[in-house]
Amino acid sequence: MKMLILFELRKILSRRLALVTLVGMVLFSVLLSVSTYQNKYAFAPDGSQGSGKRAVEIDKKIAAQYEGILTDEKVQQMMNDFAPTSDLHGLNAAYLYQNAAQSAAFARFSDQNGNWNGLSVRDVFGQEQIKIGYVDGWLSTSRNMVRTFVLLAIAVILMLAPVFSGEYEGVDNLILTSRYGKTKCPIAKAAAGVLAALLAAVVAVACNLLFALVFYGTEGLDCSILFAPTDYVEGFIPFNITCGELIQYQILLAFTCTISLAGITLFLSAVSKNQIIALAASLAVFLFPVLLPIAETNPLFRLVGLLPIYHVLAVSLLSVEQMRSGMLYAVWAVPAAILFLGVGGAFSCRMFAKHQVS
Amino acid sequence: MELKTCGLTKQFGSKTAVKDLNITLTNGVYGLLGANGAGKTTLMRLLCNLQAPTSGQVFLGGKNIAGLGERYRALLGYLPQHFGYYPDFSALDFLLYVSALKGLEEKAARKKSKELLEAVGLSREAKQKIKTFSGGMKQRLGIAQAMLNDPHILILDEPTAGLDPKERVRFRNLISAFSKDRIVILSTHIVSDVEFVAEDIIMMKAGQVLHFGNPQEIVSEIDGKVWECTVPTDSAEKYAAAYNTSNLRHTGENRTVLRIIADRPPMKNAARVQPTLEDLYLFYFKGENKE
Repeated sequence: MKMLILFELRKILSRRLALVTLVGMVLFSVLLSVSTYQNKYAFAPDGSQGSGKRAVEIDKKIAAQYEGILTDEKVQQMMNDFAPTSDLHGLNAAYLYQNAAQSAAFARFSDQNGNWNGLSVRDVFGQEQIKIGYVDGWLSTSRNMVRTFVLLAIAVILMLAPVFSGEYEGVDNLILTSRYGKTKCPIAKAAAGVLAALLAAVVAVACNLLFALVFYGTEGLDCSILFAPTDYVEGFIPFNITCGELIQYQILLAFTCTISLAGITLFLSAVSKNQIIALAASLAVFLFPVLLPIAETNPLFRLVGLLPIYHVLAVSLLSVEQMRSGMLYAVWAVPAAILFLGVGGAFSCRMFAKHQVS
Repeated sequence: MELKTCGLTKQFGSKTAVKDLNITLTNGVYGLLGANGAGKTTLMRLLCNLQAPTSGQVFLGGKNIAGLGERYRALLGYLPQHFGYYPDFSALDFLLYVSALKGLEEKAARKKSKELLEAVGLSREAKQKIKTFSGGMKQRLGIAQAMLNDPHILILDEPTAGLDPKERVRFRNLISAFSKDRIVILSTHIVSDVEFVAEDIIMMKAGQVLHFGNPQEIVSEIDGKVWECTVPTDSAEKYAAAYNTSNLRHTGENRTVLRIIADRPPMKNAARVQPTLEDLYLFYFKGENKE
């Protein structure tokens, strides 16, 4: 069995298209991380400014001044420290960006002119205790992860679509007449498919984490995602979880998406006549749900949201509900993924074994 | 060992590829002959349990092969007419992969693979990628993979396709040496290959068996019906079109010798000759594409 799994893994990983997509995903992830880091900019209180590494240093230094639980005093202090010193020329101050802390404060506590809007921490966040700090780096990593994980999902489909359907181009004759062709071989194929997909997911996650740790360190991982710059306010996750928890959820969802897609793609691979049909069908099943006009508030989204595409898009699924245990509804992606893999894997093995050679 | 078909039938829509076939195969080499569409490949796939019969069954030692599963496949070696391969695998890797599918231990698989690569003349190319192979080399690799598990039932669909004469002789010798105490079934478009190797011939037409017996026996059906006639070369084409002609040979000086299959002497100078399997084939499949 071990030999069979190794051979199947080799077949999957030696396909040029799969390799190109995997390498492309890694390069994309690197490019995204580096360009996001380079594009950061911030103004220091002394009027100096910087981008890239310098911007992150400025943001971290400013965030350190207010670190801890967000209080009305800290809000007042921030509104005072970041008060606009020049005419905004009609720009709504909520969208003014000097640095990450200023942007986060203004997004919630500023009126149009940059003055305090009269809201208290309790008015904005209710009873929640909001721990603030430098979260911009990890939040941008979270956003980059969405893009990388979509590419990961496509890479998984490209890798796994030929697992069974590729054999229907002639090798099935040999496989299905061999001793283990209808028993151990389909299981080895499915196992190798899942392993290859998980390997790709590990690479994608590792790339993102590595660059985030190098660029931003561990600062902000224990801070709330709710006190974030303007970019992350609209349509973002409305629950008081930390950046670390957000990243953990996203990583979990990357793996649940990978596992779900592995099940779906293996099944479609086994029932499709050739690789192209398997590939097209898998991509369609993966992408189609985003075309459905179902909002997160719709009860139906609790089911639709468990489809793999929403795992990697993350924000919608993470926004559904925070359960009594404190966990987000998104954890239901785990049993959903196990179901997809169990059903898809079992049926694909069966379909392949029962396949009539033509 | 006895492989037996009982009322074996396979239909594809309205077309019947194999019709109510009842044959019993014991140890020996069987040559399967028939034109395109005669049902040879379908029969082989049914025997390999690659396709489910529409009706009827295949029994091995009295047990339905459909229920034997791994136990049957462990005895089986199969070379399909067209088989796929992994272009980036080397010949040795491909054989090791098939060995793993057949349940061979890694060490034994490596030894057997090397032996078979030697036997089919591919030992030098063992580490070359299959995508660099010619058609004949791929075919030889196909033959090797079918024999990896020392199968008791070896089914070869057009094994000599793409092989040059030297390779065909090598193949015939390989099969002859291998066939002791085994059932070997092979179809080929080259009648002489079957004639040399097969102890029994199964001649199929329209999904049914026309003849089943040793070559001498079945050829005897056209005893006295094969003639050689010498005609002027310029009128040879006319005679060839008018009669069931199996061969046409120019002898020089505007003379051509025709080999004609007919119940009566086709012309005055016709000389009766010994029939061959190819004559019989043409007798039955005149007008059909020879496979």
